[in-house]
Amino acid sequence: MRLANPELKELVVEASHALARLDSSRLEELALSCQALTRARNTEDLGERTLLAQQAREAVADMAVFARVLEATRANLGVMKRLRELRAGQLEYTERQARGGAEGGNGDD
Amino acid sequence: MGTINSALSLTTGALDADQAALSVVANNVANANTTGYTEETPDWQENAPISVGGIQVGDGVTETGATSRRDRVLEERLDQQQQLASASSTRLTALDNIQALFTPDSGSSSSTAGDIGSDIASFFDSFSSLESDPTDNALREQVLSSASTLAGDISSAANSLNSQSTALDQEASGVVSQVNSLTGALAQLNLEIQSTSPNADAGTLEDQRQQDLSQLSQLIGINQVQTENNGLSVTTTSGQLLVSEGQSFQLTTGTVNGVTHFFLGGTDITSQLSTGGGELGGYLTARDVDIPGALSSLDQLAYSISTSVNAQNNSGTDLDGVAGTAANPLYIFNEPTVVAGSAANMSVIMTNLKQIAAAGAGDGTGDNSNAVAMANLANEPLAGPTTSFSLTQNLDSATPVNGTTTGNVEVYDTLGNSYQATVTYTQEGANTWGYSVALPASAFTSGVSTPVTGTMTFNGAGNLIQIQPAGEANPETVGTATGDVSSIPLGFTGLADGAANLNIGWNLLAANGTSIVNQTAAASAQSGQSQNGFAGNQTPINYYSNFVSTLGATVSEVQTENTAQTASVTQLQTQNSALSSVNLNDEAAAMSTLESSYQAASQVFTLLNTIMASVLNLGEETTVS
Repeated sequence: MRLANPELKELVVEASHALARLDSSRLEELALSCQALTRARNTEDLGERTLLAQQAREAVADMAVFARVLEATRANLGVMKRLRELRAGQLEYTERQARGGAEGGNGDD
Repeated sequence: MGTINSALSLTTGALDADQAALSVVANNVANANTTGYTEETPDWQENAPISVGGIQVGDGVTETGATSRRDRVLEERLDQQQQLASASSTRLTALDNIQALFTPDSGSSSSTAGDIGSDIASFFDSFSSLESDPTDNALREQVLSSASTLAGDISSAANSLNSQSTALDQEASGVVSQVNSLTGALAQLNLEIQSTSPNADAGTLEDQRQQDLSQLSQLIGINQVQTENNGLSVTTTSGQLLVSEGQSFQLTTGTVNGVTHFFLGGTDITSQLSTGGGELGGYLTARDVDIPGALSSLDQLAYSISTSVNAQNNSGTDLDGVAGTAANPLYIFNEPTVVAGSAANMSVIMTNLKQIAAAGAGDGTGDNSNAVAMANLANEPLAGPTTSFSLTQNLDSATPVNGTTTGNVEVYDTLGNSYQATVTYTQEGANTWGYSVALPASAFTSGVSTPVTGTMTFNGAGNLIQIQPAGEANPETVGTATGDVSSIPLGFTGLADGAANLNIGWNLLAANGTSIVNQTAAASAQSGQSQNGFAGNQTPINYYSNFVSTLGATVSEVQTENTAQTASVTQLQTQNSALSSVNLNDEAAAMSTLESSYQAASQVFTLLNTIMASVLNLGEETTVS
């Protein structure tokens, strides 16, 4: 669901929650909402710009939370990548070991 | 030997292996809803090759057991994040309780501890009102009434903080038995796992061990170390051993300075546990950092208001024309002697309205100049005048008569201005020294410094045993027995900045009762000094306002930490669930979800950051790579 009138604070909070849930679909929808906000930012309407600035000030603390969740996610992703590399290494080792064992068993000697 | 039976055996072996694998699958399905159960995958072992007609052929595979699809790296990461989230969550609850003391309830102007900010303003405003008619009893009543409200709310807040500290202390103590129970269970599980499955996954036993580790990491910060034969050692995050394979080490508690401390093998590890994580870390951080910090601020506020108001009132003239003296002071508040505990002990001791000294020194009772000065304290920087100082000093016994040495200490007046107090010691004879304590001449309205003088006498061992302030008929014994003195009273009047008179006690003894000014055959030297005054740069109301703001910022910071840590735990649980539990998703899909979510979130963050930086004109945009 795309937010009809995206409030910045609401959007930031929702992004943190979606990231915590690893809801990539929701995050992509939020990216579309951000684009709507980008258009509002570029408006010449002083009132709208003032409103957006007010919303931005109110969202600063939530943005800090979002940044921290993003950092934690990056750390988790790092752990998972290392884990995958570790397994890949173990697998490679096991295969080599298996090949070595098979050669011996097949009577090369 | 290769036979047809051998070839058949190949097939049946494979079928048996399939059947065993089916059993594992059935086990997985049966345990799908068992908490902590980890999916098992069948292990296959290649059989020895068989010779058929001189040709070596493979002998298929045999199912040799099941290995749980757990991953210790991920589980440890999850445990680490859980202990951080648990610590911040526990601390946050405590901080919310602290903050509630200073936050007016919704729809009310008063919090549990009243509104101290308004109390301060009302108190000093009452002196402004008194200026208009210094003899009006109703206005005087208002001064004491607002003083009572202020003192009551500050002491109530301090007492509530102390109660919260006691409750946290009890909560922290309660965690210990749970920790000990879990470490005992872990040691037992280690023994069983090492005995039954030293070289392979131990299945349900390892599930139990992981569950215990997970619970333990919510209670206390831990590190896990894999050992031989599938064993495990567990330490605190600072490295103290809790479990070493089959042996557990119990945490014990003891009372130190009125609070519970935590010991492991006789070593006090309280401070390490405080920063280590888990519920215990949260409780201890709140008990040992957050509450003492809040109390310290309240103490400083109470000390400063009490001493400065008392000093100012004591420097004026009351409605009976009586001026305050050191012997019969005109104090409104209970006069604190040390900063610590000032808030809890703050109270109004003045009962006679007439003792409010609205008139200046030497002025008629209708004068209001001292009421003006007291009202103006609201705009003066918060300060605590020095009421005591200590110098650790050696006086060289070989100093010739009339030889001198000096010591220095910075002291503060009631307005927060500081002066270098210089103590000059003059050798007068065997074991006798004269002392002279002086502030700079510029400190006084007269431009003349009048030192406080006297003599000191030392015994053969070099310890200070007697003092005789100038003007006293007899020497006084220095010591801790009844009738002894432990300090020299120093008084300075007529300060140029308009501050109240400075009355300072020069402490001569250490906490253990031994003299700190001594005479030995070593070079004269000052090796230490301390005093209890301070100068701030904020008015009382601003100081309190900043205290509340700082507390709010701390709550917000911990809230942010906790939200991020909880989110991280949720993510890891999702990953762990996909990897370890009975789940249709496979590891690759879980990894892909994590990666795509991170990338999408990074895009959202970048867009939001750009928008916010732009509309707020922040200039530089924050980046998260």
